[in-house]
Amino acid sequence: MAENIVEMQKVSKAFPGVLALDKVDFSCLPGEVHAVVGENGAGKSTLMKILAGVYRPDGGKILLKGEDISFPSPKHAQNCGISIIYQEFNLIPELTVAENIFLGREPTKRGRLIDTPVLKQRSKELLADLEANIDIQSRVKDLGVAHQQMVEIAKALSLKADIIVMDEPSAVVSGRELQSLFRIIRSLKESGKTIIYISHRIEEIFQIADRATVLKDGQLVGTYYTKDVDKPQIVNMMVGRSLTETFPPREVGDQKEILVLNDVCQGNLLKNVAFKVNSGEILGLAGLVGSGRSEIARAIFGACEIDGGKVLLNGRPVKKTTPKSSIASGIGFVTENRAKDGLAYNLSVRKNLTLTILDRIKKWFFVKEAKEKEISKNCVNEYGIVTTGIEQEIQYLSGGNQQKVILAKWININPSLLILDEPTRGIDVGAKAEIYQLMRLLAKQGTAIVMISSELPEIIGMSDRIIVIHDGKVMGELSPSEATEERILMLATGQNIEQDQKKEKPLAL
Amino acid sequence: MRYSFFKQDRTTIIVYLVLVGLIAATSLLSDIFLTSRNIQNLLRQVVPLGLVSVGQTFAILTAGIDLSIGSVVSMASCLTTGMILGREPLIFPVVALVIVLALFIGFCNGFIITRTRVHPLIVTLGMMSVVQGGLLLYTKSPTGSVPPVFDFLAWGNVWIIPFPILLFAAVATAGIFVLRRTTFGRYVYATGGNEEVARLSGIKTERVKIITYMICSFTASLTGIFLASRMGMGDPLVGERYMLDSILPVLIGGTSLSGGKGGVSATIAGVFIFAILSNALNLLDVSAYWQWIVKGLIIIVAVAFYMSKKN
Repeated sequence: MAENIVEMQKVSKAFPGVLALDKVDFSCLPGEVHAVVGENGAGKSTLMKILAGVYRPDGGKILLKGEDISFPSPKHAQNCGISIIYQEFNLIPELTVAENIFLGREPTKRGRLIDTPVLKQRSKELLADLEANIDIQSRVKDLGVAHQQMVEIAKALSLKADIIVMDEPSAVVSGRELQSLFRIIRSLKESGKTIIYISHRIEEIFQIADRATVLKDGQLVGTYYTKDVDKPQIVNMMVGRSLTETFPPREVGDQKEILVLNDVCQGNLLKNVAFKVNSGEILGLAGLVGSGRSEIARAIFGACEIDGGKVLLNGRPVKKTTPKSSIASGIGFVTENRAKDGLAYNLSVRKNLTLTILDRIKKWFFVKEAKEKEISKNCVNEYGIVTTGIEQEIQYLSGGNQQKVILAKWININPSLLILDEPTRGIDVGAKAEIYQLMRLLAKQGTAIVMISSELPEIIGMSDRIIVIHDGKVMGELSPSEATEERILMLATGQNIEQDQKKEKPLAL
Repeated sequence: MRYSFFKQDRTTIIVYLVLVGLIAATSLLSDIFLTSRNIQNLLRQVVPLGLVSVGQTFAILTAGIDLSIGSVVSMASCLTTGMILGREPLIFPVVALVIVLALFIGFCNGFIITRTRVHPLIVTLGMMSVVQGGLLLYTKSPTGSVPPVFDFLAWGNVWIIPFPILLFAAVATAGIFVLRRTTFGRYVYATGGNEEVARLSGIKTERVKIITYMICSFTASLTGIFLASRMGMGDPLVGERYMLDSILPVLIGGTSLSGGKGGVSATIAGVFIFAILSNALNLLDVSAYWQWIVKGLIIIVAVAFYMSKKN
């Protein structure tokens, strides 16, 4: 058996409120594709960021080709031949492909001047090796995500990386593009590179990886040859419990049609979107990132304008919704990205909690502070928010507790319709379960919930109905009993089920 | 109402401790510092700086900034003296007109910033140039005059307290009160803390921003009117220094340029630190150029300190 090219021993890392990694061992052989799998929050990305020198671990060490390099800076890791390709690419949109590939390492002549012909020539060669048909002169912002990913890979190769870490590449590409990514991974492997492939999609691992390391809640479950295990085994190790246990039992409240979307259009993001939402149920909106899921949520809430179609709330058409008017008519909206548009991070828990209801707790121009404190304290107790007090700045809370504050802030308006965009992203398992319980409780009490999620088990486990979006269109509706991860993915990647049944027929573009 | 001035966050307490330390140190270094004459002098110097800094605090709390403050100060001072020209009955109409004009300039700042989404730095810099240019077309040299009653504003006493101190105290208290207790104050923090979150929470962030720029111009116009009274005439360049001087106390007080954190009580400490420092350096006979160097370094050290605390 060959020597390990890289070996991480007993690596630990804690974040405020979460033990992200607990003495994890991980090693790779040269020329292998090694998958790292686990649920969101299992510690996959943290482990890789430690390898790439982005995070400093609290304990453990790293051996590279048998040599102790514990713990490099990002630059040092790069020089050692470790490259990481993040989900959010590290590319500068305004620069060209060639400039991005050699950013910070431009070939020079006479010391200081950029040698543009060499720059172009070498970029061209790198992309040709990848058989990627990309104009090196185009700006990165004009490329699609699949091509941007290629540029990242070319950049990693230009660094003469021996180890290339790919952080959930399939979160941004799918279908044909994913297949061509796999082709590249295989050819990189043949040339002796080590690929570490992070994913939570299990089918992919069997397609591409030699070995898989399974993480769960920051702990190592084990490393296995993919030929020795099958899919249910991996799922079992990832989840560590059968799926039904995590989700509260389905109990729906009174069902009444509350929201109707009729042929809603917006630019080329939404195309004739139509569906209904009933009170007392959880409607799951599934689809790939960029399919228009979040745009639908924003359109309902009035966070952006629509070009065509109608939105009916309680049977009445709503015209020109704004967040203010939506809140007044009882719509709440938990956004996808907590940091960007979810919380005012240097404000206290109290001020975040009451942001939506200031109008209801004021007298003349003044906030009734006693009332506000009472409400805030009740929220903290009721939802089990772990904080040093209601005056604690929200940035110091753990992700799960921040999310509970955001949920509480919207529940405070007594919503009749609550839109949740990725409600459990990046939070630990315990908080997840609490949020699921809370969602179910709200539905039982008659709130209509629209839940957008990329996590298929969550969609299947929580929803009473599932609507799948692809390319701004509704592709189909599934009941939880007929929904499987495969069927949802099929719809989400634009393959119609009927078409799929007549497999002989070539797919029309 | 259970309102307490002492209910402050940690940084503000530190700033006040620094202020107390500075007062102690200065009184040890200079015998003149604690004389009633010097204190009165100091307080009168604090007033214009304090007024503009209170306004600037609002703009900076929304993650904006107002660079046109200085030219509005100059404009207010020249228009007040230039239009009153010593005629007593015109005092109230002219002062009212000047304030309305300033509010309009503030509105324009806010309106352009929210509509075009151009950075406040650029918009207010442009506005500064426009107002200053307009003012220099109106007069190039100190101008106008005021009747004797008008002197009360800068030189009068209520009982033994100088009137300008009362004016500043009133504006500062109002500022603290608005930010702490009113929904509008909360909107200011929320808009600065995270504008998109505030907007999605049903807050009309554009309106909030426009009003903060109007508050800025309002305090600038009060400053200009006060300076007109103090000097007895209007000077088209009197406000120039307040473009930067209004920002420094806010930053020394610990209000963050990225918005959402800080407040008027912190700014007041910043104003006194800044003013006492100038006063002390004057008393110690330090040259004006050295004063610039000292102040420049202090502001960098102060903000670096807040940054290091944050991480």
